[in-house]
Amino acid sequence: MRFLRLGLWLLRRERRSGEWRVLLLALIIGVGSVSTTGFLGDRLKRAMSEQGASFLGADLLVTSPRPIESWPALKSTRSGTSALATSLLSTSRALEFPSMLARGDAFQLATLRAVDAAYPLRGVVRIASQPFAESSPRPAQPPPGSIYVAPDLLPLLAANVGDQVQIGEARFTIAGVVAEEPGQLGGMFGFAPRVFMRADEVERTRVLQPGSRVTYLYQFAGESDQLTAFGTALKPTLDSTQRLIGSHEGVETLRGAFANADRYIQLTALISLLLSVAAIAIAAHRHALRHYDQAALMRCFGATTPQLRALYAFQLLTLGIIGSLIGVAVGAMMQQALAILVLPDAVTRLPSLGLMPVGVAIVSGLLALAGASLPALMRLIRVPPLRVLRRDLPPLPLGSWISAAVSGSALLLLIAWYAGDARLVGVFVGALAGLVVVLLLLARLALLGGRGVQKMSHGPVRFGLAQLLRHRFDSTLQLGAFTLALFLVALLALVRGDLIAGWRQQLPPEAPNYFLVNIAPHQQAPVADYLSEHQLKASALYPMVRGRLTTRNGEPIASTLSPESRDSNTLRRELNLTWTATLPANNTVLAGHWHGSRSTAEISVESGMAERLDLAVGDTLGFQIGDQTLSARITSIRSVKWDSMQPNFFVIFSPGQLDALPAAAIASVYVPPGASGMLPGFVKTFPGVTVLALDKLIANIEAVFAQIIGAIQLLLGFLLAAGMAVVIATLLASLDARQQEAVLLRTLGAQRAYLAKSLWSEFLALGLLAGLLASACAEIAMALISDRLFELPARLHPWLWLALPLAGALLVGMSGWLTTRHITHVPPMQSIRALN
Amino acid sequence: MTPPDSAQFPASPARALPAGSAVTAHGLSQRVSTADGALAILSDVELDVKAGEILAITGASGSGKSTLLGLLAGLDQPSSGEIVLLGERLNKLDEDARARLRAGRVGFVFQSFQLLPALTALENILLPLELAGRTDARERATHWLDRVGLSARAAHTPRQLSGGEQQRIAIARAFATDPQILFADEPTGNLDADTGARIIELLFELNASAHTTLILVTHDDALASRCQRRLHLVAGHASEVAIA
Repeated sequence: MRFLRLGLWLLRRERRSGEWRVLLLALIIGVGSVSTTGFLGDRLKRAMSEQGASFLGADLLVTSPRPIESWPALKSTRSGTSALATSLLSTSRALEFPSMLARGDAFQLATLRAVDAAYPLRGVVRIASQPFAESSPRPAQPPPGSIYVAPDLLPLLAANVGDQVQIGEARFTIAGVVAEEPGQLGGMFGFAPRVFMRADEVERTRVLQPGSRVTYLYQFAGESDQLTAFGTALKPTLDSTQRLIGSHEGVETLRGAFANADRYIQLTALISLLLSVAAIAIAAHRHALRHYDQAALMRCFGATTPQLRALYAFQLLTLGIIGSLIGVAVGAMMQQALAILVLPDAVTRLPSLGLMPVGVAIVSGLLALAGASLPALMRLIRVPPLRVLRRDLPPLPLGSWISAAVSGSALLLLIAWYAGDARLVGVFVGALAGLVVVLLLLARLALLGGRGVQKMSHGPVRFGLAQLLRHRFDSTLQLGAFTLALFLVALLALVRGDLIAGWRQQLPPEAPNYFLVNIAPHQQAPVADYLSEHQLKASALYPMVRGRLTTRNGEPIASTLSPESRDSNTLRRELNLTWTATLPANNTVLAGHWHGSRSTAEISVESGMAERLDLAVGDTLGFQIGDQTLSARITSIRSVKWDSMQPNFFVIFSPGQLDALPAAAIASVYVPPGASGMLPGFVKTFPGVTVLALDKLIANIEAVFAQIIGAIQLLLGFLLAAGMAVVIATLLASLDARQQEAVLLRTLGAQRAYLAKSLWSEFLALGLLAGLLASACAEIAMALISDRLFELPARLHPWLWLALPLAGALLVGMSGWLTTRHITHVPPMQSIRALN
Repeated sequence: MTPPDSAQFPASPARALPAGSAVTAHGLSQRVSTADGALAILSDVELDVKAGEILAITGASGSGKSTLLGLLAGLDQPSSGEIVLLGERLNKLDEDARARLRAGRVGFVFQSFQLLPALTALENILLPLELAGRTDARERATHWLDRVGLSARAAHTPRQLSGGEQQRIAIARAFATDPQILFADEPTGNLDADTGARIIELLFELNASAHTTLILVTHDDALASRCQRRLHLVAGHASEVAIA
C-alpha cells in the first residue's frame, strides 16, 4: 500500500515530464478512436434490439409479391378447436409500392404504404402537425381522403401540411408528418420518402396495374406458442418469392449485415490504436531509460523487486485508467458528432450511451498500454542497485523472447478481440505487417535519396538534413507512421471523389436521366407515342416480369453450387426478366449466339451472373414467375455495361416466352434540361407510371456515400493524431542527444536562428517526404482499386502531390518544432548543467 | 559552515546500535572476466569496522575503492569471501533480502548527488523515509532540511540548486532515516575545494552527533586524515594505513 501511495506521489511529481504526456496523449488518441466506433456501434445495435418486435411492427411478418388467399388452420389453445390463424392472432394487412406524387409542377417518387386500421400491431407511429414539431402516437391509417408523409417529402413537393397532392388519379390532403414509425432505423438509407395512406383508397388511385411492383405485408401478433405453431405451419406453403420474418429474424438479418460493416470500421479504429501503441512504446522506453537512476536509488534505499514492480505497475495502471477515461470521454463526444453526421434524422431516437463500450475501450487501452510498455517496465525493475556507483551499468538482461512474448500476446489479443475470427486476424495482421514493412522500406529508401539533397545543401539546412539521416531508426519510424496516416486519409478522399467523378465522366453527354418504370401493357403504345411526339430520346420499352431462378438442368440451383456461390444475391432475390429480339445497345455477346427472333425457349445470361453461378451455354435454367414455372436453354452469354443508364437485364428471353404473364414495361429517356416542364404532364397522363429521376437518385447515393466516408474520415483524424504522437514520442526520445548537440553548436558560436532553421529543415523535410511517399502509395492503391474493383481507367491526381506533402510538412513541422523548440532557447550553461 | 540548529531529532528504536562490528569482510575478492581473461578488482580484502567508527577507503582511480564500497553496502555480490553487514551475512541473502536490510538502516552519499530531478529538495529527503515507511516522514525531512541550512530552498528542484546545495540535500537525505551505517562515495568529488571542505565539515559534524558508522571513499588525503582509520587500496589489495 505504501508503495502504491509512493508511486502515485512520484507520478504526480513527474506529471509534467514529456514521456508521461506523450504516453497519455497517445493513449487518449487510441482509446478515443476505438471508443468512438464502439459507442456508435453499440447504440445502433441496441437500437435494433430494444425495438425488437416494434422494429417489424409485428411479432411475425409475411411479405409476398401477390396477395395470399389462404392461411393454415391453427388449434385454439382455449377451445381446442381448429380455427383459422387469422382469427386467433391479431392481424394487419398492408401494401407497399412505389408511386409518383405530384403537386402543381413538382413531382416526386415515394414509397407508399397502404395500411388498415390495425397497423402497426407492435410499436407506434407518431404523427406531427408540422416537420420537427411535437409528435403524438396515432393510428398509421390516416382519415379518409388524406395521407401522412415523411418530413423530407414536403420540400421536394414544395408542399405544406394541409396541401393537396395527386397520386395517380386521386387527390389527397397531407394531414400530418410521420415523425416515427416501426423499423425506421433500418430504413435509414432508403431513397424514396415514405407515405402512409389508407388501404381502402388504393383502388381509387388506379396506380396498381397488372405487373406493377407491389409487396403485400401481412403482420401477425399474438401468444408466442401460437405464433410458433403458425410459423411452422405456414413455412411449407410459402414459395420462393414469399418471406416469413420473425421479429428476431428481421432484426438479426439487419444486425448481421450491420455487424460486418461495424467490424471493418472498428478495425480502422484499431489501426489508430496500434499506431498509438508505437508512440506509447517509444515513450515508455524513454521513460524507463530516464528512470534507471531512480530505480537504482530506490533499490539502494531498500526497495525490493516486488515493491518496485508494484510501484511502477501502479503508476502505469493509474496512467492507463486516466488516459482511457479521457479517451472514452473524447470518444463519447466524437460518436455524437458521427451520429449526427451519419444519421441526422434518427440521432435523437438512438438509445443513450451504453456501459459496455466504456469497459471495452478501457480494457483495450490497458491492453495496448501493457503491450507497449511492459518490456520497458520489466527492464526498469531489473536495474541493479550498484548503478548508483557505476552509472554505465545497464539493467540485467531480460530474455528478449519474454518481452516479445508479453507484448506480442497483448497486441494479438487486442487484434483478435476486434477482428472476431481467426481468418480476419490473419488477414489483418498479415496486411498490416506487409504495409508496415513496405512503408519502412520506402522510408529507408527515401532517406537514402535524401542524402543526395543533403550534399547539395548548405548551412543550417544541411545540418538539419544530416540530423534526419543520422537518427536513421527514428526517422524511418516517424516517416513510416506518418506516411501510413496520410496515405489512408488520402485514399479515402480519392475513393470518394474519384469514383463518382470517374463514373460521371464516362457517361455520354445525352445519357438517359430518367427511368420510366411500371408502364402497364395498355399504356406501352401511348407512352411510346407520347415520347416520340415530344421528340424525347428514349430507349426501347422493355417488358419486365419478376422471377426467381430455381433450377439448373433440372436440379435445384443451390445444390449445384459451392457453399460460397450459394450465398449469391442472384439466388436470394427476384430477378428482372425481359424478352426482346434485338440485342440491347451496350450489350456484347461473349459466348454462343444471340437468339434474335427465334421463338424457342432460349435465354441470354449476363456474364457476371454466369461466372458467379458457373453457368455455360447449353445449360437449361428454370424460373419461378408468380405461380408459374418456366425453363429455357442458355444460348448466349453477354456482357452488360451496367453504368450506361439504360435498362439492363441479367436474363433476356427470346420473344414470346413470357407473353402470358402480366408485364409492366421499363424504359429510359433523356429529358434535356429545358424540357423537364413536360414531366408533370406525363405523370398526369400516365398515372401508374413511375418516373425515377436518376440525377436525384445519384445525388442521394452520393450524399449517403459522402456521409459515411465523412464519418470514416473523422476517424482517420485519430489516425493523423496518432501519427503525430509517434513523431513527438521519437523526437522526445532523442531530445537529450539533440540538446547536447545544440549546446555544442551554441558554444561554438551558432546563433539561435541557425538552430531553429536546422530544426525546421529537418521536420519540413520529414513531413514533405512522408507526404510524397503517401501520395505515391495512394496513387498506386487508387489505380489498383479503379482497375480491379470498378473497371475505371487509372488517372493521376496532381493536387495530391501538392496537398499531401504540404499537409505533412505542416503537421510534422508543427509537432516537431513544438517538441524541440526549447533547446534553441535554453542558454548553453543551463543546458550543460541540466545534462549533468 | 555550521548548521543553524543542532537540536537532535529523537532517535528511532531501530537506531539502538549493537555493540561490536558494523561491517566485516573476510577474504573478499571480486573478479570480472574480460577479453584478456579474468581480472581481479579486489583480492583477499580483510576488514572489520566497529560501530561508530569512521573509515576512509583511499587509493588511485581504478584501485577498487568504489567496488569495495558497493560490496560492503550489499549493492553487489563478491566473487568470493564473506561480508557481515549489521549482523547479517550478506552471502546468504538474495538481492531483495539485502534491500530489506538496507531499508532505513544504511545511508548513502554519492559523488554525483543522485537527487531525483522531478522532486523538490524536501521531497528528495522524504523519499527514503517514505520507502522505509516512517510515519513521521514529513516532520523528519523538514527537520533535516533545516539541519543542513536549506529550509528556504525546500520547494526548489535540484536544477535550481548549486552543486554544494545539492550535496547538502543528499547528506540530509542520508541522515534522515537515522541509519546505523553511512556509505559515502567521493562526496566532494564533484565540488570545488571550498565547497568540498564545507560539505566535509557538515558530514563529520552530523555524523558525530548521530554516532553513525561512516565509510568514506576518497582520494583526498586531507579528508582521509580526518578519519579514524584508513584503508588504502593498490590494484585491489588493501592495507590499513596509520592515520598521521
